[in-house]
Order: sequence, then C-alpha cells, then structure tokens
Amino acid sequence: MTAHSTKKHGSLLVKDARTQRRNNAELRFRAYGLTAVIVGILALIVLLVSIFSNGISAFQQTKLMITLELPEAKLDQKGQRDLDVMKKVTTIGYSKVLGNGLIDQLDRLGIATDLKDKDVREILSKESAATLRDVVLADPSLIGTTVTMEFLVNGRIDGYFKGRVDRASAELDKNVKPGQLDIADALTEHGLMYTQFNLDFILAPDASDQRPEAAGLGVAILGSIYMMLVVLFVALPVGVAASIYLEEFAPKNRLTDVIEVNISNLAAVPSIVYGILGLAIFINMAQFNQSSPLVGGLVLTLMTLPRIIIPARAALKSVPPSIRDAALGVGASRMQTVFHHVLPLAAPGILTGVIIGLGQALGETAPLLLIGMVAFVREYPAAFTADAGLFGEASTALPVQVFNWTQRADPAFVERASGAIIVLLVFLLIMNALAIFLRRRYERRW
Amino acid sequence: MTDLPIKISARNVDVFYGAIHAIKSVNVEIADKMVTSFIGPSGCGKSTFLRCINRMNDTIDVCRVTGDILIDAEDIYDRRVDPVQLRAKVGMVFQKPNPFPKSIYDNVAYGPKIHGMARNKTDLDEIVEKSLRRAALWDEAKDRLQEPGTGLSGGQQQRLCIARAVATEPEVLLMDEPCSALDPIATAQIEQLIDELRSSYSVVIVTHSMAQASRVSDRTAFFHLGELVEYGDTSHIFTNPSDKRTESYITGRIG
Ligand SMILES: Nc1ncnc2c1ncn2[C@@H]1O[C@H](COP(=O)(O)OP(=O)(O)O)[C@@H](O)[C@H]1O
Ligand SMILES: [Mg+2]
Repeated sequence: MTAHSTKKHGSLLVKDARTQRRNNAELRFRAYGLTAVIVGILALIVLLVSIFSNGISAFQQTKLMITLELPEAKLDQKGQRDLDVMKKVTTIGYSKVLGNGLIDQLDRLGIATDLKDKDVREILSKESAATLRDVVLADPSLIGTTVTMEFLVNGRIDGYFKGRVDRASAELDKNVKPGQLDIADALTEHGLMYTQFNLDFILAPDASDQRPEAAGLGVAILGSIYMMLVVLFVALPVGVAASIYLEEFAPKNRLTDVIEVNISNLAAVPSIVYGILGLAIFINMAQFNQSSPLVGGLVLTLMTLPRIIIPARAALKSVPPSIRDAALGVGASRMQTVFHHVLPLAAPGILTGVIIGLGQALGETAPLLLIGMVAFVREYPAAFTADAGLFGEASTALPVQVFNWTQRADPAFVERASGAIIVLLVFLLIMNALAIFLRRRYERRW
Repeated sequence: MTDLPIKISARNVDVFYGAIHAIKSVNVEIADKMVTSFIGPSGCGKSTFLRCINRMNDTIDVCRVTGDILIDAEDIYDRRVDPVQLRAKVGMVFQKPNPFPKSIYDNVAYGPKIHGMARNKTDLDEIVEKSLRRAALWDEAKDRLQEPGTGLSGGQQQRLCIARAVATEPEVLLMDEPCSALDPIATAQIEQLIDELRSSYSVVIVTHSMAQASRVSDRTAFFHLGELVEYGDTSHIFTNPSDKRTESYITGRIG
C-alpha cells in the first residue's frame, strides 16, 4: 500500500462543489430572511409615520381669546338669577351674544373685514356657545360683567393652523371663506388666536360630526379601562385556575383531551363570534345594559380566556418535573407543590400571557360593535360620575371610537382618529413594557 | 443474612405502566439501619420499585401497583394511608440533584415547615443546621444560607437534597442513583455520607455501579427484566452469586 492511498479527501484549501452549493444555499436563505425583516420594518415605519403625521396634531388645538360683555337683557331678562329661568335661554341665545362679542372685539382692534356677520361668527366652534352657557350657568353672577375667555375655533380654522387648510382650498370649500382666514391671521398677530396643548382631547367626551374640534377620548379611555378591569378580574383568576387544574390535577383522559382541543379552537374563533355570544347571553338573557362596559368586559373576557389559558399552561408545563418530584418527595401535597413551587416559577410566563391577552382585548373592536358599544356617547355616562351602578351605563371604547371617527365626513376627524390610535398604541406600549419588565424581574433560572 | 428488624417488606408486588409489566411479583424484606442496594441493567425496574416504597408512582397516571408493601408492618397502599404523610416518613433523593430554586436555608426548611415540625424560627434554624451537618454540608454552606441552592456545585446540590430529605426526620431514605450525575470526588463524599446515615435510617440505594454497591451496601438485590433475581448479603452476591444471570451481570456479560 502506497503512502498517498489513505488520502480520500481533496485539499482542504479548495472548496469542493458540494460545499460551495451548501454555502450558496445558506447565503440565499439569509438574504430571504433579511429581506423579510427589512420589508416588515419598512411597513412598520410607514404605518407609524402616517399615523403620527396625521394624528399628532390632535393633541394641539387652536383657541381664540374673546373679551365680551354678558348682557343681562339677553341672558336673564327677569334679572332674578333663577337658574330654572336662566336655563330657558338656549345655546342659540348664547351663540348670538358670543358672536356679537367677537364682532365687537374685531371693531375694537380695528380688524376690518367684508364678511357678513354670520360668517364672522362661524369662525368660532359650534361648541363655544355651549361652553359659554355652561360657564354662565355655573356662576350667574358673571351676568352684566365683561369677561375674557378662551373658546374653541371652528375645525377648518384649526385646520388652517395645522396646515390642513390653505387659501386655495378655502376658495373651493363652502365651509370656510378666505376672509375668515384673514381674520384668523389678524387675531394671531394680536396674540388672541393661538394653538396650544389640547388636554381636552384626552379628557372630553365625544362631540357630534359638526364639531370635530371639540371631540375627545375621555369616555372611550375610561370605558376601555373599565373593560380591562373586568377582563383582568374575571379572566385572570378563571384562566389561571383553569390552566392549573388542567395541567396539574386533571386526569389525562378522553374528556380532558376534548377540552384541550376545544380551548385551542376557541382561541382561533373569530372575535366577532364572541360578540354574538355576548349579545345572546349578557344582553338578551341576563338583561344587562346594552353598550355598558360590564357587558363589553365580559365579552372580551370570553374572548381572552383561551388566550390566557394556552400560554399559562405552556408556562406551567415548562417548569421541570424534577421540581414537582422534589416537593412531593419531601411530603408536600399536590396543592402545596403547585402553589409553593410550580406557580412561582411559571408566574412570569403566565403574567406575560395575561398582559398580551389584555393587549389584544384592548384593541378588539368587532365584538363590541355587536353589543352596541358603537353608540355615540356625548356625555360621561352616569356610571362614571354618580352611583348609577358601576359599569352600568352606555359607554364606548378606544378602538370603537377610532372606528366611529373614521366613519365621519369631516376631514378633521381623520386627525382625531389617528390621535386616538396614538393613544391606543401608547396604552399597548405601556402594557408590553410591563410584560417585559415583569418577565425580566421575576424570571428565575433553575 | 443476619437477623435485623425488618423495616420494609414487599409481597407479590407487580407494577404496570399501562400494558408494560415493569415489576413482576417481587418479594423482598429490607432491614432497618442498613444500606440495601438495588442493582441491575438499565430498564429492569429498579427505579420503579424504589418509587413504590414512597408511592411516588401515584403521580404517574398510567402506573398501577398490586401486591402489598409494608413499612413497620403497615400496608402503605391501604386506602387510609395518605401518601403525603408517608413521604415525610420515607424521604427520597433523586438521580439528578433537584434543589428548589430558593435559598439553601429555604430548601432545607421547606419540609419541616409544611409538616409543622418547628414552632418558631429558632427551632427551624436548629433543624436546618442539624440537617446540613448530617449531610456534611454545614461547613461549606453555613456562611451562605441565603444564597440560592441552585448556585452550589453538583455534589453540594446533591448533599443539599440529602439534607432536605433528612430534615423531615424520615425513617427510610430512598436514593435513586444519587451519584450518577457527579464526579468521582463528589461521589466519594456522598458514599461516605451514606455510610454515616446507616446508623439512623434504613437506606435503599439504586445504583448502576457495582463497585458502589459493594462499597456502601450491606445487602444487594439484583433485578433483571422486572424480576428480583437474587437478594442477599452484598459480600455473598458479589463473591458467590447463586443465579447465572447475576453472575453474568457482575462479571459484565449483561447490562
Ligand atoms: N413513566 C413511565 N411510563 C411508562 N413506562 C415507564 C415509565 N417509567 C418507567 N417505565 C418503564 O418501566 C421499565 C422500568 O423502568 P425503570 O424503573 O426506570 O428502570 P431502571 O430504573 O431500572 O433503569 C422500563 O421498561 C421503562 O420503560
Ligand atoms: Mg432508574
């Protein structure tokens, strides 16, 4: 046998064809993966940019400062400051007083215009007369005096300051006249018209389609928070108890197999089906109030339960059996084993599942539409303000409010809807950050 | 065989995992204050039989045990017996060290706590110290009682598990291949420990190392395919086995 006959492989310095092909395949696969990631990130960036560029302005609002007289002759003819009598003067009456105040102010400042008085008045939001009326009814002693107050301006004028409206588009738009924009510019020069942070967007209730400038998210946020509380306090204990029972106590037989398969199926059921279920059970059978956060919360609970149970079971399953053996071996009961050893180790996983489930519930719209949470809610529901039964009265929710606003004609609602999405995203971000924090904080190794 | 009081006695024990017949009609009497080792090729049912003695098999759904196992002449499979109480009396150490992911102190204190063995913190401290001393871990662990038990070395972890098992004052100590995951030095330490534990407990140890069986045990039982083939004094089994299968196994021809 010659020396070189043991040499079955070629030189290691030259790649053979097979290795070359394998390396190429790997390179191609990496390229596909990277492309997929980049496409995903680009889509996310486009989404965020479009939402933020449309919506961030919802957190700003243009206001007009007016100094005006509150004539007794118009607002309280009898002069007795009797609230019941004063309430007979509607917003139409206040609207005239306010409009005249604005016209007087323009005269005082020497701002000339060839617009009709009616058009000048329309610079103000339709909401501002109601604002004035509320202030006066709250403090009747203001009548007869001169007050200086901030008022919302009409959505088109607000849009002018946010770049949505300009003189060219105003020519074509029957809801705004270039003359009004001239007045707005003049008032801005006097420092009386300005754009500032809009806390009301977060606190105020919704407003009708005529007055986007007054629409806020207050009721929707509160409704969403109440629903999340219902989900948390019902779905968390029920879901965790169910997963512990199924994972640690239930015998493994035909019945538990069927239950297991069905839980997985339930997690995949389209959410709108839960809306139909909720309508049948909670509204038709249990006679709860339609559109109430209680019903909404219970429907979302039904939807969230399987989505909590599945990760909770996975978390319990991932606790090594040796820990259970150790506990049982020193004479712990099964219950002690679970609650002293298994559950603490599974807790971070369970919590993460719960928070992700809550996040999904927070963004869910379809089932809420079916139980009537799409209702237009102009006022804070009594449930939130008085003792009319917690969770009892009609409310709305953040994603439904987004849906609602996108349905409306006025382009100013596009801004509002995007703003609402930003609020929703912030809530989701907070919840996800919490999930990550809890996982990091309580994750223990074994 | 010398005449020592019988601690555990098994009569016609059969164990089934569903259709698998894992233990076939085993009869054995295990003496008190002695080390008894179970040897045999892998899969012959040593662990299965050991787990019958503290009813750990109850946790496996498909497992079914027939026959009688008596400890101190009481049938531990009697309906009135609560396995939780039984396991306080029959401690167990597992193949892979499995301390709780808690502090060293809590690992040892857990059993006494749930069995209400300590009235106050001082009692508990005492039990922890005594158990760690028994397990020859006190000197290494006394300054780091609040550190996690999982941070110890493998051999220390196994001694911690022994301390945890003896903390509930068991009468029988079951060990399932306690050294198979350990290096020779740690193994020697555990073996020495087993030698010391002999005076207080009835120790039953499963091992795949015949050298270990001959070093630590007084009596040896040889299992093969679910049957107890031969049982007797360790010296006798290793020098003069009466069954051909035992002989083949200890001379390395099967297993
Ligand atoms: N949990 C179980 N389920 C089903 N069969 C098992 C289980 N545990 C052990 N067995 C079977 O029982 C037999 C004995 O196993 P075991 O007692 O672990 O053997 P050893 O400890 O002697 O290696 C083996 O055939 C094994 O496959
Ligand atoms: Mg084994």
